[in-house]
Amino acid sequence: MTYVKWTLFGLIALIIFAFFHYNLPQHDVVRIVGTYQERQDLGDWTRVFWASPDDQSATLTNRDVQFIQAVEVDGDPMVYRNEDTGWGWPPYFKFDTASLQTEADDLKSTREAPKWAVVTHYGWRSELFSIFPNAVGIYEVDSPDVRIIPWVNIIILTMLLLIVLTIRAMLKQFKERSIDPVLEDVEEAWDEVEARADAAGDEVRGVWSRFMAWLGTFKGKPRK
Amino acid sequence: MIGFLRLAIFAIIGLGGAYFLMSIYMRSLRREALEKEWDGAVGEGLPSRETFIDEGMAAYERSLRAKLIWLVVIVPLVLFGLVLYLMNFTK
Repeated sequence: MTYVKWTLFGLIALIIFAFFHYNLPQHDVVRIVGTYQERQDLGDWTRVFWASPDDQSATLTNRDVQFIQAVEVDGDPMVYRNEDTGWGWPPYFKFDTASLQTEADDLKSTREAPKWAVVTHYGWRSELFSIFPNAVGIYEVDSPDVRIIPWVNIIILTMLLLIVLTIRAMLKQFKERSIDPVLEDVEEAWDEVEARADAAGDEVRGVWSRFMAWLGTFKGKPRK
Repeated sequence: MIGFLRLAIFAIIGLGGAYFLMSIYMRSLRREALEKEWDGAVGEGLPSRETFIDEGMAAYERSLRAKLIWLVVIVPLVLFGLVLYLMNFTK
């Protein structure tokens, strides 16, 4: 039973972590090497890893998606998709896909004369499932060893923590002010019921013993 | 358009719910504080417990503190506008 419990807790923690890891913004220092646009089939379960830029895109089985090709500082390739998130999830409210693609094109550089850029993105890259993180912002930096403080993540996680603590305090207050008094009332009412039952029991017992005593009067005097 | 409407409906439900819960919570805290204040100060010429709490709650409803609960609605809307602006209209 303990194993079941801890497995469940572990699973929930993992899901929460994965949720935030997927949806919160991350920063990569990369060199942009190209951009392309490719028709994507969106009919299978990996649909959740693509955005829904507008209302009609929810029902389309395939559409063109823009991509940004990059090379990381250590030389690994990285490919981002570049899609509007629109008004949907995750709430980046990104509508400037075309502008971002232009900025990326503008930052293209070669290995010999590298220009470094910080790409802000959310999502995961998986070669196996052909899924790509969605680039949401890009800016140029002078050198690849730039220090990035994730302010947005700090603010979001702090606010979420405050919200959780507030909800906990609310529940505590609700329990203290609304549930406990009712429980006390119930307890008192129950005590009363018990007391009455006891009294009734005593009475019955009294009646019974008087009846037995009365029966006893028919008996003769005990013989010696 | 439908996407924006959906967001707006979720926002109204979420923010309205948050405001409602927060106002109940703050009111409950204030009432508890008033009860404790009256209970801790017996025999000092205070009005009856009920009057004291009713007056205190009426004063609370007019107070700045009760109006500040609107921040629960305003701050997310401001953040929404800020994100929209920073994401799309700045480089």
